[in-house]
Amino acid sequence: MSTETAGHAAEAERLLDAVEHDFPDNPAGMRPFYELYRRIYCEGQPRRGSGPLIGVTCVQVPEELIRALGATPLRLCGGSYSQAQKGAEQLPARTCSLIASTVGMLADKGPPLGGRDLALMVSPTTCQSKSKAMQLAEGMGYPVHVLEVPQSNESEVAREYFHASVWRLVARLEKATGRRLGVRQLDEAIRKVNSARAQFRRLKELRAGLGPVLLGKDALLVSQAYLLEDLDEWTAAVSRLNDELEQRRPTALEQRWGHAPRILLAGSPPVFPNLKVPLLIERLGGLIVADEVCTSDRLLNDAVAYAEPHLEDMVPALADRSLRPNTCPFYARNTERIRRLLEQAQKMKVDGVIYQTFSGCQIYELEQRAVERALTEKEIPMLALETDYSPDDLGQLTTRIETFLDIATHRPRS
Amino acid sequence: MSRWRTWLNRGDVSRFRTWFQLAAFALLVYGGSAAVDLSNNLPTFACPFAGDERGGTCFLFPLQHMLNVKLARSAVGALIGLSMSLLTFVVWFAVLNKAWCGWLCPLGTVQDWITRLRQRLGVRGSEYSEATFRRLSAIKYFFLLLVVIPPLGVANSLFGLPRLPHDAGATWCQLCPARTLLPLFTGRTSELAIDFSTTTMVVLSSLGLLMLGVFLVGSFVKRRFFCLLCPMSALQHLFGRLALLRLSKDGARCTRCGNCARACDIGIPEIATDLETTNMTTSNCMLCLKCVAVCPETDCLQATFVGFPVYRATAAGFFARMGESGLVAPKAGLGNASQVGNGEKHS
Repeated sequence: MSTETAGHAAEAERLLDAVEHDFPDNPAGMRPFYELYRRIYCEGQPRRGSGPLIGVTCVQVPEELIRALGATPLRLCGGSYSQAQKGAEQLPARTCSLIASTVGMLADKGPPLGGRDLALMVSPTTCQSKSKAMQLAEGMGYPVHVLEVPQSNESEVAREYFHASVWRLVARLEKATGRRLGVRQLDEAIRKVNSARAQFRRLKELRAGLGPVLLGKDALLVSQAYLLEDLDEWTAAVSRLNDELEQRRPTALEQRWGHAPRILLAGSPPVFPNLKVPLLIERLGGLIVADEVCTSDRLLNDAVAYAEPHLEDMVPALADRSLRPNTCPFYARNTERIRRLLEQAQKMKVDGVIYQTFSGCQIYELEQRAVERALTEKEIPMLALETDYSPDDLGQLTTRIETFLDIATHRPRS
Repeated sequence: MSRWRTWLNRGDVSRFRTWFQLAAFALLVYGGSAAVDLSNNLPTFACPFAGDERGGTCFLFPLQHMLNVKLARSAVGALIGLSMSLLTFVVWFAVLNKAWCGWLCPLGTVQDWITRLRQRLGVRGSEYSEATFRRLSAIKYFFLLLVVIPPLGVANSLFGLPRLPHDAGATWCQLCPARTLLPLFTGRTSELAIDFSTTTMVVLSSLGLLMLGVFLVGSFVKRRFFCLLCPMSALQHLFGRLALLRLSKDGARCTRCGNCARACDIGIPEIATDLETTNMTTSNCMLCLKCVAVCPETDCLQATFVGFPVYRATAAGFFARMGESGLVAPKAGLGNASQVGNGEKHS
């Protein structure tokens, strides 16, 4: 085992230990998730799933297409600091940790790749760094398909452009998997994905209630496991967890987080094992009840329905779901992101928003002010944190989050 | 009460509508045989050419008759008669709004049957681009002029032009596909013939047959093809503000996922993109409520009667309906259509 592998395995181990042992009242339904992460990140096993493995780098890829072709999607975002250090060698100095970590992971096929080959890597043209990182990956010998995403998702022109782009993806996926996309298979994939999302929504509803049902650190692990576990298994595990959460009285949680400020996590995605900020928030007495991050809500909230059993209706339906409801900060005008963030904040009775940006992650940085302004208008305080994967800023983050939680606690509740 | 509401919101409105339409069709086309006569001023195509078996009469028929008056001589009397009829029409309309189109109109129901036939055959339907949709959607106002102007032109000399021949008095009826199609359901094939009695009738009845052809082909290719062009729909919309039943939208809850616009048989794009308007019963809407059924956002879309919610979009309802399949409309088509792509490996 090389030092790098040992590095990221130890990181994952430390994180999981903290998640499991530093907090009380972990529901029994979380155990399969902890085990999943241990299997994939500590032991380096490949993820479960049938057929060829297809890597995706952003939420704009309609995963149902991959599943309908008998393949398995895998999120190719890196969350490991040691992988980021390795990746940084090939990238400019101010590249965000997530990109660096992805490149590092691809370089030695580390977790969650688990040494497996990718039949295809689908890279939507979202942020510049990701596009360029995929160019590096191509240089390493990975087969890359560029999914063209329009830089604005509003007009009919953008919609037609993206539909054409998704049809091109279908052709490429068919080639990569050696199968033809069939109506029955696609319907089954859509149905399964919808049932998975139904469970995600159920969990969201449970967390919307007053009082702590599940800590955010666990909820983030649950949603993130979506692209790491067999789909049916995931749905069943979340369904069991939801059943448990509906029944149980988490006394220890209520003691510590019963009156905690309710936090919405926004900004750059907390990819496993980089749960630095969310973990800190809850250690310091905050309760994450909602998020708008791509590993969770942005990926799993929206569900698709189609009108006629033909690919010509089903594929555009998937494209539509991946384009217009998507609130990626990469889009030119993003009133939608703010509108939906505010709606969530109100629905989930949020006391404050914590917005993390990884240094070098320009699109999240650029939108931060606009988000803050909109929240201030609604008298919801926001804390903007610039951070990365290194543990160096823990002290500074602690002070800032502590102060913010204090403000959020004492804000008049409506 | 709340349990009942949950049951209702989880229900499959399309299936219910299918049966409702069948009953409405029987009532409007055959109700007269059971001595049903709802009114002579119905805001839907209960066609008088289908004979006395019908259960009511389309308002456009008496409207054309009443407009065929000499304005100079009997304007006041005509106006009184017309207002009375119009009042009945508006009252009927106000109760159900565009649901007349989606739930009761026999011509609409026939279009849905044709769509069902197409889906059974595994044939793919077509959709309009947004630009085409907007252009076509204006045609209904031109047709509305065809309802109103010719009868006036028969009795009066309009703009100094000579008066139109007597046979042009019911020009719209001659063109309307309901005249040629619905009598077939009461065993009358005579309307399918070209009327050679006068030159006007030859022209109009030929155009009528052409319209029937366009109607049949159009609705086979595009769901609810004719509704986008329908002058009744245009006339109804003039009184849309008075309607009690409505489709309302809360833009704040919308994610613009587009499920509603794709489910829409007419293909109204605004339903998915307009986040400002609250009354979404647009001129093209037929209140079939398919959009409500496919909306995954709780309370984003709902049908309300005098502000009281009748059928609401709920996340739970959406996922309950999607449990069997992501397909919303008739489930019968799936088995046939799967032959299109069979998921087998390339050889």
